Amino acid sequence: MGKRVLVIDDSSTMRKIVSRSLRQAGLDFDEILEAGDGQEALTLLESQSVDLILSDINMPNMDGIEFLRQKKEIAGIAGIPVVMITTEGGSDIIGEAKALGAAGNIKKPFTPDKIEEVIGGLI
Amino acid sequence: MDLLKNITDATKEIFETMIMLDITPGDPLKESVKSFKCSVSGVIGLAGNCQGMLAIHTPDDVAKAITSSFLGMDVDEINEDVTDAIGELANMLAGSIKMALDGAGKDVTVSIPSCIHGEEYSMDCVADADWVVVPFTIESGQFLVELQLKNC
Repeated sequence: MGKRVLVIDDSSTMRKIVSRSLRQAGLDFDEILEAGDGQEALTLLESQSVDLILSDINMPNMDGIEFLRQKKEIAGIAGIPVVMITTEGGSDIIGEAKALGAAGNIKKPFTPDKIEEVIGGLI
Repeated sequence: MDLLKNITDATKEIFETMIMLDITPGDPLKESVKSFKCSVSGVIGLAGNCQGMLAIHTPDDVAKAITSSFLGMDVDEINEDVTDAIGELANMLAGSIKMALDGAGKDVTVSIPSCIHGEEYSMDCVADADWVVVPFTIESGQFLVELQLKNC
């Protein structure tokens, strides 16, 4: 089965731009799934398998930090790498995300090159 | 902290890296703008050591042009794509301002973006806040980036 990625962001614009940037970066995903917040992502992951997750932090309902906290307690999905894509590039919240298992961070605004640099080694 | 430079640098970076439109900053306005016609405004609240808001105010045609370039598709009307794109633009700008404030020793949190649009609406200022409003010009017209900060 081909590789699949899940993009979590409450902004439909940002989900489209992340998807486009993955293609522009030449990253070979066969399917790009989308969720609007952490809760929607956890529900989706009950029935769908993915190889990588890209997640915003500041979202309504369930933010990216709480998503990481709950995900790492669920055996079937705990090992999926998560890269945070957020405006909060240099703040303490990035450290909190890494402590909860985030594999990397991409600050908005970003270029396809930055996406490739951070994600290329994870797939 | 140089709010004007932070706004100008952050706006130019976003347009150069993600929106791909040529942009020219203008001189900051001497009076704030409270009333808007046929426009879209993306707004982010700031809380913590400093309180205030960041907003981007775009006439409809400018909002459609920004969204069209942002998403790489034709946009003919003010729809959810436009309001989401302008809200996300405000979100990225607020993130850059938050990082600058954090670097100056402030502890600031940002809200989820909100978007207002319509034929005619007005927005009130944060009471007793310092403010700066910077006009930017792109091919389709001019838009404003506004930052209000209190207790900073």
